[in-house]
Amino acid sequence: MKRVAAALLLRWESVLVLLIIAVGLWCRSLSPLFLTKLNLLDLATPYIFVGLMALGLTFVVIAAEIDISVASILAVSVVVIGQIYETGTSIWFAATVGLLVATALGLFNGFLVAALALPSLAVTLGTLAAYRGLAFLIHSGEGVATFPTGFTNIGIGYVWGQQVPVALLVFVGTAIGLGFLLHATRFGRYIYAVGSSREAARYSGIPVTSVRMAVFGISGFMAGVAGFVYIGFFGSSRADAADGSLLDVVTAVVLGGVDIFGGSGSIVGVVLAVFLIAELRNGMQLDNIGGDTQNIVIGCLLLGAILAGNGIRALQASGLRQRLARARKKEVVRTKGQAEGIS
Amino acid sequence: MNLGSRMVGANTLAQAAFRLREAGIFIALAVAVLFFWARADNFMTVSNWQNIATDVAIVAVLAVGQTMVVLTRNIDLSVGSIVGLTAYISSDTLAKHQGLPLGAVVLIAVAIGLGLGLVNGLLVTVGRIPAIIATIGTLAIYRGLLFEITNGKNVLAFQLPERFLDLAAKKPLGLPTLAWIALVVGVIGAAFLRWSPWGRDFYAVGSNPDAARFAGIPVGRRVMSAFMISGGLAGLAGFMFAARFASVDAVAGTNLEFDAVTAVVIGGVNVFGGSGTVLGAVLGAVLVATIQDGFTLLKLSEFWKIFFNGTAIVVAVTIDALVTQRLQEALRRRRRAEIVAAREQAGATAREREVPT
Repeated sequence: MKRVAAALLLRWESVLVLLIIAVGLWCRSLSPLFLTKLNLLDLATPYIFVGLMALGLTFVVIAAEIDISVASILAVSVVVIGQIYETGTSIWFAATVGLLVATALGLFNGFLVAALALPSLAVTLGTLAAYRGLAFLIHSGEGVATFPTGFTNIGIGYVWGQQVPVALLVFVGTAIGLGFLLHATRFGRYIYAVGSSREAARYSGIPVTSVRMAVFGISGFMAGVAGFVYIGFFGSSRADAADGSLLDVVTAVVLGGVDIFGGSGSIVGVVLAVFLIAELRNGMQLDNIGGDTQNIVIGCLLLGAILAGNGIRALQASGLRQRLARARKKEVVRTKGQAEGIS
Repeated sequence: MNLGSRMVGANTLAQAAFRLREAGIFIALAVAVLFFWARADNFMTVSNWQNIATDVAIVAVLAVGQTMVVLTRNIDLSVGSIVGLTAYISSDTLAKHQGLPLGAVVLIAVAIGLGLGLVNGLLVTVGRIPAIIATIGTLAIYRGLLFEITNGKNVLAFQLPERFLDLAAKKPLGLPTLAWIALVVGVIGAAFLRWSPWGRDFYAVGSNPDAARFAGIPVGRRVMSAFMISGGLAGLAGFMFAARFASVDAVAGTNLEFDAVTAVVIGGVNVFGGSGTVLGAVLGAVLVATIQDGFTLLKLSEFWKIFFNGTAIVVAVTIDALVTQRLQEALRRRRRAEIVAAREQAGATAREREVPT
C-alpha cells in the first residue's frame, strides 16, 4: 500500500516535471531568449506571491477544508502595511503588523469553521468579499508607493551577482520550512490525519479543533508573507491587490497533486505546479495571448488536474480491490489444501 | 399516540424557527428601508422603487436557480460569467438581426445557459469535482470565452431595438416588465420545489445524499438538473441584464454570483443543503437589492456593497448554524425526556402486571 502510494506520488510529480519540460520546449520555439539562465531564474518572480499563498492553502486543503479568501487577506495586509508605514513608522514595524493582521484574519476563518462548525466553503466565500471590502474601506485611493528599497527588494531585488531574484529565494526557503513542518513534524501528521478522517482523528486523541484552526492561521500568515513580496514586486499598496489571483492559487494546489478531498499531498508537488503555471503564463504572453484567454487554459488545467487525480485514484482503488480479491482466493486455496492435507 | 405528539412537537418547533427566520428578513428589510428613507431624499419615491424592482428581478432570478443548487448541498459560482456571456450574445444577436422575435432570443440565452449549467453538473457529478472548485474553474473559463467572443467590442444601446429596451422601461400595472418575469420565475420555482416530486428530491439529496441514494433517488441526475436549472436561469438573467443595462461588454455581470449567494443565504437556504425556500431566497434578493440601491443613493462607494455582501453571508451562515444547533439540541433533549417517560410508564405497567401474579 505504502509502495503504491509512493509510486503514485513519484508519477504525479514526474508528470509535472515532464509538463514543465514540454511547455519549456514550446516557449523556446516562441522565443530564443527563453532558454537563458537569466530568464529561467526570473520566470517565476511575478508569480511568487501566488506561490506563497498556494503553500498556505496546501495546509488547508490537506486538512479537507478550503480557503478562497487568501487573496483578500493579502489585500488587507498590504493596505494595512501601506497605511501604517505612511504615518512615519519603520517599514519593518508596519510589515510585522500586516503579518499579524493577516494571521488574525486567517484565524478568524478558522474560528468560524472549527469552533462554530460552519462549512469552510460558505465562510471563506463570505470573508472573500468581506475582507476585500475591508481593504477598500481602510484605503481606497492610490496606494502608497514610496517603500524603501530595503523592503521592496523582497519582491524585486536580486542577489549573487544580480542574477538570483530574492523572491525566488524567499519562496524556496519558505517551501523548505513549510515542507519540514508538514512532512517531518507531529503537527504535520495531525493535519493529514484530520484530512483523512476527522472522526478517526478525534478518537485517536488529536486536538482536531486546534489543528483545523491552525491550518487557517497558516493560510492567513502565508497570505501576509505573500503581501510582502507583492508590495516589493509591484511597488505599491492598493486595495485591489491580487484580485483575480484565486484561480492560479487554487490551480497550483490542485495541480500540485494535493487531494481536493483532503488527506494527501506534498509541498514539492505544489512548488512544481507553481513553476509550471508561471512558465505556462510566460509562454502564453510570448504568444500574445491575453490574460482572460489565458484563464481559459489555467481553468481547464485546474479541472483536468482534479479529473486526472480522481481517475488515478479510482484505478488505484480498483487495482487494490483486485489484488485483495486475488490474495483472498489464494488464502482460500491454501486453507483448503491444508484442510485436505489434515484429513 | 406518543410518537404522534412527538412529531407534532418537532414540527411546530421547526416551523416556529422558520417563521422567525422569515420575520427576521422582514425586520431587516424594514430597518433598511427606514434607514435609507431617513438618510436619502429620493429613496421613498415610486421611480426609485421601480428601479429597485428591476435590480431585484435579475438577482431574484439568479437566486431561484442558486436555491436549487444550494439545496442539493452544492454551490454555483459561475453564474456571473454565464450572465455576462448570455447578455452579450443576446444583445449582439438582436443588434445584428433587428427583426428577431424576443422569444427566440430568450430561447437562445436560456439554451446557452442550460448548456453551460450542464457542463458544471457533469464536472460535479461525473467528474466528482467539489462544486466550489468546479465552478471557480468554469467562472474563469466562461469569462475567458466571453473575452474571446467580444474581442474588445461592446454592444451599445442605440444598436438595440426599442421593444427590447422596453422590457426595463415599460411598467405594466406599475411594475417593470422584468420584475413580472422574475415574479413568474419565482412562482414556478416555488411550486416546483413545493409540489413536484423532482423538486422534493432536491431536499432529500441535500439532507442526506446517501439516504437519498438508498431511497432510490437518482442523486447524480438530480444534482445535474439543479446545475442546469441554475445555468438556464442565469441565461434568462443574462437576457434581462442586457435589457436593463442596454450596453454590454466583456466584464458584464462580474461578481453577480455574490449577490445571488448572499440573497440565498440571507433568505435562509441552509448552506449544508436540504432546507430553504424560494420565497426566502426572493426576500433575500429584495433585501440585497434594496440595500445596494440605498448605498448608491447615499453615494457610498462600490466597496461598501462588497463589504455588505461578505459580512451578510458570514453573519447569516453563523446565525443559522447556531440556531440549527440549538434546535437540534432542544429536539434531542425533548426526545430523551419522552423516552425516559415512556420507559418509566412501561416499567410501571410491567410492575402492575407483576403484582397480581
